[in-house]
Amino acid sequence: MNVSLSCEEVRELLPEYAEPGPRPAGDVEVHLASCAACTAELAAYRDLLGGLAAYAEIEEEPPVGYLERTLGVVPRASRARAAIDELRDVSGRVATTVRKRPAVSAITGAAIGAAAIGLIAWRVGKRGRVPEIASS
Amino acid sequence: MVPPELVERCRQGDRFAFEELVRLTHRRVYSLAYRLVNDRSDAEDVAQEAYLRMFRGIAGFRQEAAFETWMHRIVTNCAMSHLRRRGRFGILLRDEEQPDLPTPDRAQELAVQRDELARGLAALPEGQRVTLLLKDVYGLSVREIATELGIEEGAVKVRVHRARKRLKEILEAEEVQEGSTRERSERGSGDLLPRRDAGGAGGPTSE
Repeated sequence: MNVSLSCEEVRELLPEYAEPGPRPAGDVEVHLASCAACTAELAAYRDLLGGLAAYAEIEEEPPVGYLERTLGVVPRASRARAAIDELRDVSGRVATTVRKRPAVSAITGAAIGAAAIGLIAWRVGKRGRVPEIASS
Repeated sequence: MVPPELVERCRQGDRFAFEELVRLTHRRVYSLAYRLVNDRSDAEDVAQEAYLRMFRGIAGFRQEAAFETWMHRIVTNCAMSHLRRRGRFGILLRDEEQPDLPTPDRAQELAVQRDELARGLAALPEGQRVTLLLKDVYGLSVREIATELGIEEGAVKVRVHRARKRLKEILEAEEVQEGSTRERSERGSGDLLPRRDAGGAGGPTSE
């Protein structure tokens, strides 16, 4: 024979009983069916848990400059670095092509040479003199 | 919610993607760190350490679990490490019965924030506050919390139970106090005789 729970006993169970999810019918449910005060307590705990779950979405205001300082700590991506990586990738593919196809390399070399001559001629036209070639 | 595509790009080593991840989550990470360590400067240190750990570990992150859960655990771990270094971890290991009342500065800060829940949480003993935050606010499991705090799962459940009860009492007491303060301020607005407020919480209270 089940002995019905007292309000004190039920209220001790309510902090866990208020968690969302299915609850098996039992002594607590039997008590709540006839106790408005404990039912109100359960509702209060459910409100509390709901409020706590929503609290995660409320963000604290960080100190000024926090984002910048944090980005400064983490290894940063560099756009210049990305450009260098891309050039290396391209030059790697060109080098592979040159090794495989000597005829292509000859044509490529001639094309680069012509482009360089064209560039120098353009600059002479613009500035009226041959540009100095920096010694490396 | 961090898009899974962004997480995948980070896992592949895309640093631009990781920078985007930081921008997307920095407030949330700071919020959790702050609520755990209760200090703005410390919270920033914790957040930065957490991001470094995420950066180093994200290649190994398996997307079976939600990224946010993984992120919360890392922040929690960093916060606990930080508290250990600061010598305050012992407080978290004890489930104190005496309330750890907020300092006047902290109370002032909370008053500015005007967040009843924040005031209530700050009034909890630190061990209960941290456990409740991790369980009911950030959704970590009992097992995860036990691991992060280095305590038994049973102890986690006891703390959560006590923290919920205590927080409810604190919030209800504050509500009663606010109601009394409103009544007094209304009475004090030039009336010579106390007035019965028809829509108010009732007459004189006997506590």
